[in-house]
Amino acid sequence: MKHKAASLYLIFVFVVMYLPIFYLIFYSFNAGDYMNNFSGFSLEHYRTLFSDYRLMRILANTFIIALLSALFATLIGTFGALGIYHTRRRGTRNTLLSLNNILIVSPDVIIGASFLILFTLIGMKLGFLSVLLAHIAFSIPIVVLMVLPRLNEMNPALIDAAHDLGANDYQVLSQIVLPYAWPGILSGFFMAITYSLDDFAVTFFVTGNGFSTLSIEIYSRARQGIDLSINALSTLMFLVSLVLIVIYYFLSTYQQRGSKKKRTLGTAVR
Amino acid sequence: MTQPIIEFEHVAMQYGDNVVLKSIDLEIESGKFYTLLGSSGSGKTTILRLMAGFLTPTAGNIYFEGKNINNVPPEKRRINTVFQNYALFPNMNVFENVAFGMTLKGKSKREMTEKVSEMLALVKLSGYEDREISELSGGQQQRVAIARALANEPEILVLDEPLSALDYKLRKTMQYELRNIQQRLGITFVFVTHDQEEALAMSDWIFVMDDGEILQNGTPVDIYDAPINHFVAEFIGESNIIPGVMREDYLVAFAGKEFENVDGGMRPNEPVEVVLRPEDLDLVDVSEGKLVVTIDDESFRGDYYEITAHDDDQNHWQVQATNSAEVGQRYGLYFDPEDIHIMRLNESEEDFDARLEQYEEEEAPDASD
Repeated sequence: MKHKAASLYLIFVFVVMYLPIFYLIFYSFNAGDYMNNFSGFSLEHYRTLFSDYRLMRILANTFIIALLSALFATLIGTFGALGIYHTRRRGTRNTLLSLNNILIVSPDVIIGASFLILFTLIGMKLGFLSVLLAHIAFSIPIVVLMVLPRLNEMNPALIDAAHDLGANDYQVLSQIVLPYAWPGILSGFFMAITYSLDDFAVTFFVTGNGFSTLSIEIYSRARQGIDLSINALSTLMFLVSLVLIVIYYFLSTYQQRGSKKKRTLGTAVR
Repeated sequence: MTQPIIEFEHVAMQYGDNVVLKSIDLEIESGKFYTLLGSSGSGKTTILRLMAGFLTPTAGNIYFEGKNINNVPPEKRRINTVFQNYALFPNMNVFENVAFGMTLKGKSKREMTEKVSEMLALVKLSGYEDREISELSGGQQQRVAIARALANEPEILVLDEPLSALDYKLRKTMQYELRNIQQRLGITFVFVTHDQEEALAMSDWIFVMDDGEILQNGTPVDIYDAPINHFVAEFIGESNIIPGVMREDYLVAFAGKEFENVDGGMRPNEPVEVVLRPEDLDLVDVSEGKLVVTIDDESFRGDYYEITAHDDDQNHWQVQATNSAEVGQRYGLYFDPEDIHIMRLNESEEDFDARLEQYEEEEAPDASD
């Protein structure tokens, strides 16, 4: 009885969460132009979407920014996490960690505004580069937060053991520490991508004329009334996120599956 | 005497105000099995980490084959470590773990395969090359850790309480196997443990440590039969320690009587502590005993009875007997003169050794076993 109620409640929660998205997806296939009566199935809005070169270019921009910023943020954030991990003094380490966390907690509007002030102060042209830099900057703390627990979980004797067997600092890092932290690095990378993809506030501040990302574009179009090609776009974005999650799932369980495969092979041989 | 492979010269270690090691001097000879024995916090693991190169001493010198290695990093020392929690690399399988050191040195694939199977055979894990670390039991992980360290062909293998996480039976087996491996390979083992039984069973030479100092070093038999002080006597096995007075050479008074013994070289009427091991005591008829005791308690331990008793001076005695005794009954307590061991109060290890040598020489001509 109790189990039934619990699962019913769970279903209810998921329905409430996914209903608006499915509503949006459903009407992207509408032959009509509005979201209030479904007059028949059509891919018309997908056709207009793909013939909208401006939107396609913005879509490309968005993904380039997301991938590049995630890549750089992962690189910098991983080494940042290593730096914090190797900080001996407790006080310094906690200070560094707090400084990192403040950036995650503080509102995007404030981060965006401060980046705008910084970029105008140093006389930088607003556009692709400013958006990329801002995205890298706000993704780094997320990567640090994903990688650091993994490092802390690691038995420090592993590092000693590697040195003991003849590894130098670089070999310890590349063959022991980074492989161990890999799942954390991976989730940091994917988190950075999603943060970059759906960021509106920071981008809104630091973008200039002629450069726009998807969230900015959708926002400005929505003010003039929703066009169903936006629905089509949202549907595609939803599918892309789904694919990203599936990729992440397979990458993160790769090692376990690998070992299982080896195990069955091993026992077969024996 | 041959040159020691490792030598510590006044080595001290401290973190801030916290002194972990006070001026340690020790020599390790090639090809023997050494044990550092002490309770946790005695500094034994610090000595190990100094040998392996994870720590640099705050004072003093460490020599490897006569060369100072104070500042040589662990990767450049021909010393390998077996860690307490094994520290196997979880992202590699058994083969990759054992071959790790060789991979770094760029050995050929064939050479590695050969060496790994040789090492796995040595630790009785042949055929386990493809296993993942997570699939192994604690005992198997322990063996892989030993194989990994030995695959690097060290001059010295240091082992940091490697058996403490294993169950009793497995620990016994591993003690035997470790000793066996050491004798087959002929390399030096330095083993750290807090378990005196382990130390006695495996070692050629034991260093007993407490509070950052080496209290006594010697063969297991020496340390067991002739502990230098109260701490060592209590730490190594069970013992009855009774205050006494050394009347003259070979005559000691305790529990209200005088006894013939085999120790000497002390001042007349010097207050001492008398050690009698429980297994050296026999319960006999009251008329035949050197002392008379009343049995307080008895517990069965499988191969012997552990009996506690008290004498008429209210000294407590522990006796290990093969036959049961009746609680509340009075028995005689019998021991031989050579079962009595005398400890002077606050005697240093050097004085102790010197005194032992001196009276053993005196005694030698007329001594009979």
